Amino acid sequence: MLKSVGAALVAAMLALPVAAQTLRPDQAQFRALYKELVETNTTHSTGNCTLAAQRMAGHLKTAGFADADLNVFVPPGFPLDGGLIATLHGSDSKAAAIILLAHLDVVEAKREDWTRDPFVLIEENGNFYGRGTIDDKSQAAIFTDSMARLKAKKPPLRTIKLVLTCGEESGARINNIRWLIDNHRDWLNAAFALNEGGGGTLNAQGKPQTLGFQAGEKVSQNFRIEATNPGGHSSMPRPDNAIYDLSRGLIGLADHDFPVQFNDTTRGYFGAMAGIVGGDTGKAMTELLANPQDAAADALVSKNAAWHSMLRTTCVATLTEGGHAINALPQRATANVNCRMFPGDPVPNVQAQLVKAMGNTGVTVTAVPPVNPTPPPPPLTPLVFGTAKQVAAKHFPGIPVLPMMLTGATDGRFLTGAGVPTYGVPGSFLAADSGMHGLNEYVPAATLYAQRDYLFDLIQAYAATKDTQ
Amino acid sequence: MSPVTRVFGAVIATLLAAQSQAQTLRPDQTQFRALYKELVETNTTLSAGSCTLAAQRMAAHLKAAGFKDSELNVFSIPTNPKEGGLVAVLPGSDPKAGAILLLAHLDVVEANRADWTRDPFLLVEENGWFYARGASDDKAQAAIFTDTMARLKAGKPPRRTLKLALTCGEETGGAFNGAEWLVKNHKDWIAADFALNEGSVGIRNKEGKHVSLGMQAGEKVYQDFRIEATNPGGHSSRPRPDNAIYELAAALVRIGQYEFPVQFSDTTRAYFTETAKLTGGETGAAMTALLANPNDAAANAIVSKDPTFHSMLRTTCVATELDGGHAKNALPQRAGANINCRMFPGDSIENVRAQLVKAAADAAMKVSVSGEISPTPPPPPLTPLVYGTAKTVAAKHFPGVPLLPAMSTGATDGRFLNAGGIPTYGVPGRFSDPDGNGVHGLNERKSVAGLYAERDYLYDLIIAYAAAP
Repeated sequence: MLKSVGAALVAAMLALPVAAQTLRPDQAQFRALYKELVETNTTHSTGNCTLAAQRMAGHLKTAGFADADLNVFVPPGFPLDGGLIATLHGSDSKAAAIILLAHLDVVEAKREDWTRDPFVLIEENGNFYGRGTIDDKSQAAIFTDSMARLKAKKPPLRTIKLVLTCGEESGARINNIRWLIDNHRDWLNAAFALNEGGGGTLNAQGKPQTLGFQAGEKVSQNFRIEATNPGGHSSMPRPDNAIYDLSRGLIGLADHDFPVQFNDTTRGYFGAMAGIVGGDTGKAMTELLANPQDAAADALVSKNAAWHSMLRTTCVATLTEGGHAINALPQRATANVNCRMFPGDPVPNVQAQLVKAMGNTGVTVTAVPPVNPTPPPPPLTPLVFGTAKQVAAKHFPGIPVLPMMLTGATDGRFLTGAGVPTYGVPGSFLAADSGMHGLNEYVPAATLYAQRDYLFDLIQAYAATKDTQ
Repeated sequence: MSPVTRVFGAVIATLLAAQSQAQTLRPDQTQFRALYKELVETNTTLSAGSCTLAAQRMAAHLKAAGFKDSELNVFSIPTNPKEGGLVAVLPGSDPKAGAILLLAHLDVVEANRADWTRDPFLLVEENGWFYARGASDDKAQAAIFTDTMARLKAGKPPRRTLKLALTCGEETGGAFNGAEWLVKNHKDWIAADFALNEGSVGIRNKEGKHVSLGMQAGEKVYQDFRIEATNPGGHSSRPRPDNAIYELAAALVRIGQYEFPVQFSDTTRAYFTETAKLTGGETGAAMTALLANPNDAAANAIVSKDPTFHSMLRTTCVATELDGGHAKNALPQRAGANINCRMFPGDSIENVRAQLVKAAADAAMKVSVSGEISPTPPPPPLTPLVYGTAKTVAAKHFPGVPLLPAMSTGATDGRFLNAGGIPTYGVPGRFSDPDGNGVHGLNERKSVAGLYAERDYLYDLIIAYAAAP
């Protein structure tokens, strides 16, 4: 923990010599909203998303929103798991709306494990500390604040809908986005949606290196692999053994690499990254784009675990158990294999490769329900991607914007699946020790303010652009 | 099950038994049968039974046979009031001659009426078999020893003092063990030159013919080990090259392939020498070759095809339980397995652990001793008194059936007595059928004729031992 704080200090000193005392009035206002949101506990165990939604609605009401445009919704039976849909009407009723999507709920945080109180916004050494300071209250606050600021201006061309939801993080009682899609799909009508999932990378010196524009994400699917055996008394081992058979299957799985695949997003990402990285690795990316079967190029690029995952479906054993008594030969041994399927890679295809990887071990492979669809990624149109690049050139000169595919999951997969192409917008540069989902989550204050400025301009640019799709 | 059905079933069984068998019994056999029935029908499972009640009932038999109260010690400890036992003493005529201890356990393995064809706690005699839980293990011997004490009380006192110890907790690992408790707390109660116990295996073939008698001297030693791999883990969407489950799997496969070296003790040397003659052919020749050279791999391969021989020739270790990981969507931080070893008598825990480490062939794998540490006494010596007398008496009762020394691959309470300095032997007389007679399993059964023959043999054997200087 000390080490992590130390590293954060160093990163803060390198990245931002400027501190909080120089805030503009609009930044001070934003900071208060962000603080209120972070300090509203929205964990699934002891928090209240509905309260957070009400508080954000309160801000917007103060900013001039009519009650009719503020829809605090609460799924029946889930009083603590509500959300907010706020509407800022555009001037052109024929132009399709834009959705700003962010989730209110946060991952659990235990006070005794954290250095500081996770539900108090603490600014220290240029960093904001608190659960949700990044995921996803940074964007929820920026989007809410943007709505309030835009309300004071002349209405944009397009209607803008703010959708703040509960239940994105695992362990939730109900996922609002899925509930909205199933019950109020019309509330979500839009040309496209802006979401979490984008970002930016820092180089080894802590300087911004790339911006990421997320289009598409891999799909999680669990498989159960199982070996069985008649068993018997452990004083007389038999040649075959369920644990050993399963182990042999797992070894086969460990040695198996799924084939390299590209889609428009990852093609764009690696095309740009090849130039940025340069050298042997950059060259290997170019070669791999030309020939996904180039094993030598794959080996070089896949040394990086993040790239390895972006290039293919991955499957990894995450849980295992076997046997029923310490003094009996095992009758059953199983493992859970968690796959992250490349968008569009069908479940039966992944399953067949698992079976093949296990070899002749008698281990069976079953897809664990729910069996998830693998929708293709949303398209990188000139409107969404081109505009993001143009605005970035102004805010982050010299920093390239790369299309990216998430290897984890966001609510974007549901909304994209429901017909609203959903993109993770860039703007945030996160340190490797950001503490997202973990301990002592933090974001440098300067990073957050820069992200806010970029997104405010980006939203205005999108809202001013007529639909060309 | 209703009491009516129970009584009715018992009546039928009694009628059947009376028709087929009972009329040919000698009076002493009738008396024995009643004692055996009472003991079998006293439930002594850990879950629902009472060893203390069984001990009291056996003490009552002995009291009726003329034992004084001072010679009957029903013991239990306050924390385990139902797990008591009995020590009975028949004083010998020669106070300088060492005593002989007759050891049997009262408790039985659990038996579920729903799974059994007949009520497991009713003695059912059917087609020449006694069916019941404990009919063989170990109430046959407990009844024979108690009955022997009663019969000897009626005659002239033997030269040596005879002690009977009936104990609880042999079958229930981790619960109160009466034999272990006596050795630790009241060794004077059971002090003896040597003890007679369960643990021998005579073989009866499919045709019902006696192939061999067994005299158990020494048993393999039970010891669990834990093997464990750890890893920093991470998110399962981004697998890293190293993985605790895979590394454990690889180590387990190697452990599964590892063969501990062939060892012989006096007991197993004598066993295989005799068995080589009985078996003949290629296997017999291989046994002879292996006795001459324990490193003879070809001979080992032939003999070890039989799982029983394989286990008698060496320490064996086998993976029995497996666990790993903490969430479906997280890379495992820990994966472990229980390795259950049956150590050759005299093989040290550290030597076995070192071989597991070597077999695992992965320095990152942690191999540690797990659970209770069993005593590792060397096997008791096959003295002319103990072994020679058993052979002489066997020649009279089972003419032409060879008596083989045997080492158990499982464990009995003999290990506690041997470690406590009382050489303990599994006496011959019982024969096992190829299916194992349901011992520890369903529908446990004992040959009626076999039981009476065993009783006659043991009675003469005990008299012979007790008369010996």
